[in-house]
Amino acid sequence: MTVADAPPRRVLVIWCPDWPVVAAATDVAGAGADVAGADVALAVLDAGRVVACSASARRAGVRRGQRVREAQHHCPGLIAMPRDEGREARAFEQVLAVVEEFCPRVEVTRPGLCALGVRGPARYFGGEEALAGRLTAALAGRGFGCRIGIADGLFAAELAARDGRAGVVVPPGGTPRFLADQPVAALGSADLADLLIRLGIRTLGEFAALPAAGAADRFGVPGSVAHRLARGLEPRPLATRVPSAELSVAIEFDPPAPQSEPVIFAAKGLAERMHAGLRDRGLACVRVEITVASADGRLSSRLWRHDGLLSALAVAERARWQLDGWPPVTGTGRATAGAGEAGDAAIAGADGMGDATTGVGGITMLRLVPDQLVPDHGHQLGLWGETQAGERVTRAAVRVQAMLGHEAVTQPVISGGRGPAEQVTLVPFGDARPPRLPPDRPWPGSIPGPAPATVYPDPLPARVTDVSGETVTVTGRAALSAAPAWLAAGAAPPLTVIAWAGPWPVTEWWWEPAKARRRARFQMVTDDSTAWLVAVQDGRWSIEASYD
Amino acid sequence: MYSGSSQVAVASAGEPGDGLLPVLPPLTDLFPHGGLRRGSVVAVPGSGLLSLAIAAGASAAGAWCGVVGLPELGVRSAAGVGVDPTRLLLVSDPGQRWPQVAAALLDGCDLVLIRPPARPATHVQRHIEATLRRAGGVLVVAGDWPGAQARLWVAAQQWVGLGAGHGRLMGRRVQVLANGRGAATRPAQRWLWLPGPDGGVAAANPGIGGLAGSVLAGSALPRSAPAGPGVAGPGLTGLQREMTVRAG
Repeated sequence: MTVADAPPRRVLVIWCPDWPVVAAATDVAGAGADVAGADVALAVLDAGRVVACSASARRAGVRRGQRVREAQHHCPGLIAMPRDEGREARAFEQVLAVVEEFCPRVEVTRPGLCALGVRGPARYFGGEEALAGRLTAALAGRGFGCRIGIADGLFAAELAARDGRAGVVVPPGGTPRFLADQPVAALGSADLADLLIRLGIRTLGEFAALPAAGAADRFGVPGSVAHRLARGLEPRPLATRVPSAELSVAIEFDPPAPQSEPVIFAAKGLAERMHAGLRDRGLACVRVEITVASADGRLSSRLWRHDGLLSALAVAERARWQLDGWPPVTGTGRATAGAGEAGDAAIAGADGMGDATTGVGGITMLRLVPDQLVPDHGHQLGLWGETQAGERVTRAAVRVQAMLGHEAVTQPVISGGRGPAEQVTLVPFGDARPPRLPPDRPWPGSIPGPAPATVYPDPLPARVTDVSGETVTVTGRAALSAAPAWLAAGAAPPLTVIAWAGPWPVTEWWWEPAKARRRARFQMVTDDSTAWLVAVQDGRWSIEASYD
Repeated sequence: MYSGSSQVAVASAGEPGDGLLPVLPPLTDLFPHGGLRRGSVVAVPGSGLLSLAIAAGASAAGAWCGVVGLPELGVRSAAGVGVDPTRLLLVSDPGQRWPQVAAALLDGCDLVLIRPPARPATHVQRHIEATLRRAGGVLVVAGDWPGAQARLWVAAQQWVGLGAGHGRLMGRRVQVLANGRGAATRPAQRWLWLPGPDGGVAAANPGIGGLAGSVLAGSALPRSAPAGPGVAGPGLTGLQREMTVRAG
């Protein structure tokens, strides 16, 4: 741990505030232009809570963390959109295209936040202040508001970008003094900040004054990382030698893969291999370079950073973002940097949402290069804002996905809806998708009480007859022709119905003729003591679920 | 952004060494050790909800549950009995490779719930059991499994809340029987609400038949249903025939 404790390199961080909202506004407006200035009350939601909102929504009283209803109470005209990290990444590609004209090696921390080494470009553009000014102007020209911070090390640079109205430039060597006044909450760990405040430590300066060994003893690995940050050092000392070449992994597609899905799937396996190679050497990587080559000879290469160390799934997710955001005409090589470029990129973003094709004549090669290596302390994070699966669970799930395909291993998300089948969304392991329908709303017509234990993915055809053997019918006004007496599932012999209730009529999607449906649901108990959820639609009976 | 490191907390409900996965309190009497022994197989022929209830204790305590070959699993009912859906891995259609899938999941999850598509061949069964012992998980089989350490099934059940054209399903009283090998040879039985009116599992008064017709037809649940002393007891096959939800 004694390596490389020299002051960290100078870093410039570009932070686009409220990026989820800017990306969502791009969707609403259909183009990247004049988004920042657009005066639309817009909020982006994740799991029913506001994660970001536009300036006019904020003026109306909308805040992060509010529930939808509370936000709409403050701002009745609020447009609420679900969060989509893929969309954010695609939209951010337009910002990166601008930044890459200044410096080809841009590393993306997450959509909305990227960094570059400042030494070379600053010399070329006549100083750090001048570089920051030119970058701000170039981005403003494309309609993106941003703040720029420059300091020693990524952590301080990010805080500098958030400081003041437009970010600040911390002079070389001034970083520890700059950090000293920041609150401990800036460390980004609510638990740690809470603990420190209760111990009477309110600023990073006070935290940095503690002995390093004491911080490590008291707060563990995360504590010692935080302590290094507070002192203005890199969070983890970089491994001195960078043996990237021998640790990089690549796969070639012959014939070229026309869809992005198999490429992403391969990326996961590839990332596993890369991690295995790193593990053997006791290393982990905090930055990875993903390179894809297309059949028409173009390359897309991007650096992705994650302070929590990139898991295989996280690497695959970033490969997906990179492919989704790949403009069809201009690669990162910038063959034609022209006026129509922003428009092209916007169209590419729109295309990427509709279908999963790569749109560049197929992918021929995918390469992962672990770019910044640190000693492995046995700690991996997955994606942002998810219930974290442990490494053991992730490995098991990825193994099954390798056997049966990406979609074969799913995690359920409980969502809204009236029928038992539509109340659960299955999300492939490793993907982050919002539920189709929000669960926290009343769904009139949904059946209260205990949920059925067996929900048939395809309802079983059934026959429901009255005592005389006639099929029971339900009129448009929910009147029954007769009391149901027999229930037969498929070709099975009929069972006597000994108790029943219903109909619970439901009219769904009436505003959309193609999807509109009227169905009536019944609960029935048959003489074998089994309870059923039975539905009738257009005169046809089916068993949707059973309560076994 | 540096995002802290509170992720390790979810890992598993205990170390492989401690030998037991917890079960819900109403179920503890059904297991001779008061929980699920790591490395053991629990067979649950019949009821879908009972197998979920057996998994619920471990899931609520932080264990990950893999589910293999149960495409019709009702996730909301699973959540109702206490299974945490955010720690579920579903492999609905493993096809012919279900033994490999089960073995892979046993390596990562503390508990795997499986319904084999067919009766497993002896060598397949041995292989899965060996993986199970090595990984220290628990295999809950929705079906039969020759040589299972414990076997639980619903011997009698009665739904309440539904009448002839009115009411709604409120809950189900079931009699669960358990037996097994070794320390579990002594059969055990419990009466449970499975599910209760809130979707959860709770202890119930024994017996069927002591319930008044009004209870079945009405919407209120019996807080303390009078136990039918002559009905509860060993005459199970007779009971099974008597199980009626009266239609008014």
